[in-house]
Amino acid sequence: MAIEPGEVRAVIGPNGAGKSTLFNLITGVLPPTDGDIVFAGERITGLPVHRIIQKGVARTFQLTHLFPALTARENVRVAAQARHAGRWRPLAGSALFAATAQAADAALDLMRLSGVADVKAGVLSHGDQRLLEIAMAIAQRPRLLMLDEPTQGLSIEETDRAVHILRGMLSDGGLTVLLVEHDMEVVFRLADQITVLHRGKVIADGPPAAVKANAEVQSAYLGGLDQ
Amino acid sequence: MNFAGFLLAQSLNALSQGAILFFIACGLTLIFGIMRIVNFAHGGLFMLGAYVGYSVAAWTGSFWLSLIVAPLVVGALGAAFERSFLARLYARQDAGAYLMVTFGLAIILAEAIRLAWGAHPLGVPIPDRLRGIVLVVNQPFPIYRLFLIAMGAGAALLIWQFLERTRAGLLVRAVAQNADMVHALGTDVRTVRTAVFAFGCAMAALGGVLSAPLVTAFLGMGTNVIIDAFVIVIIGGMGSFLGSIIGSLLVAFVQVFGAYYFEDLALALMYLLMLAVLVVRPGGMLGKEE
Amino acid sequence: MQRVVLAAVVVLLCALAPVVPPFTLTLITEALIFGLFAMSLDLMVGYTRLYSFGHAAAYGLGAYATALMLLHFDLPLPLGILAGVALAVVVAVPIAWICTKSTGVSFAMLTLAFAQLGYAMLFRFKDVTGGSDGIGGIPRPAGPFGLAVFQGKLGYFYLVTFCLVGSYLLCRVLVRSPFGAVLAGIRENDAKMRALGYNTRAYKMAVVVVAYGFGALAGALYTPFAGFVAPELFFWLVSGRVLIMVVVGGAGTLIGPIIGGAFFLMLEHELSEATDLWPLIFGAIFIAFVMLAPEGIWGLLTRHARTQPPRPDDDADREAPRAAS
Repeated sequence: MAIEPGEVRAVIGPNGAGKSTLFNLITGVLPPTDGDIVFAGERITGLPVHRIIQKGVARTFQLTHLFPALTARENVRVAAQARHAGRWRPLAGSALFAATAQAADAALDLMRLSGVADVKAGVLSHGDQRLLEIAMAIAQRPRLLMLDEPTQGLSIEETDRAVHILRGMLSDGGLTVLLVEHDMEVVFRLADQITVLHRGKVIADGPPAAVKANAEVQSAYLGGLDQ
Repeated sequence: MNFAGFLLAQSLNALSQGAILFFIACGLTLIFGIMRIVNFAHGGLFMLGAYVGYSVAAWTGSFWLSLIVAPLVVGALGAAFERSFLARLYARQDAGAYLMVTFGLAIILAEAIRLAWGAHPLGVPIPDRLRGIVLVVNQPFPIYRLFLIAMGAGAALLIWQFLERTRAGLLVRAVAQNADMVHALGTDVRTVRTAVFAFGCAMAALGGVLSAPLVTAFLGMGTNVIIDAFVIVIIGGMGSFLGSIIGSLLVAFVQVFGAYYFEDLALALMYLLMLAVLVVRPGGMLGKEE
Repeated sequence: MQRVVLAAVVVLLCALAPVVPPFTLTLITEALIFGLFAMSLDLMVGYTRLYSFGHAAAYGLGAYATALMLLHFDLPLPLGILAGVALAVVVAVPIAWICTKSTGVSFAMLTLAFAQLGYAMLFRFKDVTGGSDGIGGIPRPAGPFGLAVFQGKLGYFYLVTFCLVGSYLLCRVLVRSPFGAVLAGIRENDAKMRALGYNTRAYKMAVVVVAYGFGALAGALYTPFAGFVAPELFFWLVSGRVLIMVVVGGAGTLIGPIIGGAFFLMLEHELSEATDLWPLIFGAIFIAFVMLAPEGIWGLLTRHARTQPPRPDDDADREAPRAAS
């Protein structure tokens, strides 16, 4: 599977197809049994998770993964600090804190979460939490943004808002996005290319219209009794 | 003594040591299986068993009675503690709190024992019938240690059969796998937990009673034992009863043969083993800790 | 708020020190040493949620290292103390490396194992460490340039106070720094921090070494104070006591453990004479706090202060948010 820079690639497939596994492989959580993973020309197979992330990958999770006792702003601030050169400094870091606070506020603003910036993440609504997680991913200033079912559990309205925001972000083309989604509407609104997985194999790969018409894809989704 | 004889004698030693370790480790692993917590007080309970056993034997003159009474007393204490404190923490989902509370219990036990029985080691005589030496394939071997091996093997067998063959055992295994489901099916999971916790404590106490005639009842006997038990449970797998048997035997053999061959390193050996195990299987329990 | 309270207490103590009876001064000095010891553990437990059951090792290492330094080398007092701390920190690095390979209970067990190992080693290498008798007759040499002020009770009290306040300020800067922010993240969700790209193991190692460093400083200050060291310093109940102090004082506040630790040590001295049951009561208080008031005494005291809306300026103390329950 190959993704071009600036592309928005959606990965879809029935349950158990291996979508989350794919994410875990790319981020280094799981070691591959065979083959290699190359990121921006560099072989990243076998590197520890944090090293891969430092190369410019950011991901969200299927089950929301936050710092519940910290406020929304603090959550994003920590994410913004992650790739900052001085993140480990043991002495006063007022410059760093100012920079990351600014980045955090910008990300919160983008996701329309500024109103809840001072609320503890653990008590936010499910929808806000998922948007917060995306805000955190954005604050990491990634080259590759990996979203694992970002709209799962969101209301129609929240989904709409999320898609609208994402489309706005993607319009200047500086970001590569890998998106796992079940909601086909979201997929068609965002994706340049779609990869379809079925039981760990790629069964289709191409622009949305082509994939929609693909017979094998249709049978995998609709006829999928043999999973 | 030829090599075969030496091997036999040391192996029997290891088996008897393994038996004692088993009593502590099986309780620890069963408690973890049911409650997903490591009972830090387990060493203290072992120690309490030894001291209570001493007193019962001293008052009644019967070692056999202490074998029954001490585990019952300590088990009851465990049940009370679980009901009063641990059960209330369950809803909190805070692993740290469990650690602290069982650690607090360990401290209280240590201090209470010191207050009640004093700071000096207390000797427990081996009962007459178990005194002396017997010849095993021409090797002299203490009868008491054979008794320990028998007790360990017997207990292991009984518990194993209980878990595998009885309905109550099935219930225990089910709760260990999925407490919520069992609860939804109408069983009083709380009682199962209390019972398993109490049983684990009783087993540790039994280990204490049995080891006292060999090592005396002394303050501090709990701390090294908890580390040993922890290593055993990691080796065998947290929550795995069979694992606790294998782990106990493994650790006992390492301790006995290690002490013989690497006398100087004897102390460090256990710690090295622990480090080795934790390095190979680090945070690696069932991932439920984090 | 924290700084005000600490400053007030320090000023009060310094003012009273010349006039209280010598025994009381000794008690206060020991209490401050213990407060420093407790604060060092707070870095691990309160700020990073690394529960240690073996922090006595830090104390013991500092104490014994300083004892050996002062006994075998002709060093001025402060240098002897620093040398002891440096030695202890060197030993702490591999300990930290090994312990941080695990998390949770395993981590706690490893810290305990190291303390037990230390305890056992003391008996094994009797020639160096004096075995069960420990090392006695440790001198309290003059400071640099023949400065004899630290050799007296009052002077030593000022030394300890200085070290405590200095350490507190250093730790405070640390927890409010970017490094401290990373620790907070690790405390709240280690896995997420890794997923964000932080090498959490490195940070944990660093905080363990720093915590051992300050703990060793406490031990190093104890040695010339008491004049002798004994294996009991490594005993697990010492680790237990200091952990209790952190939790009861208020984990994640720095000042809670200092004041709590100092206060309880003094209480213990008074009550031990009245009743033998004190250690038992202590353990019971510990459990009570864990069950009912996990934020500790300092947390309880400042709870109502925190219901006021947070002020926008950074003067508000950055205390670690309460551990999730």
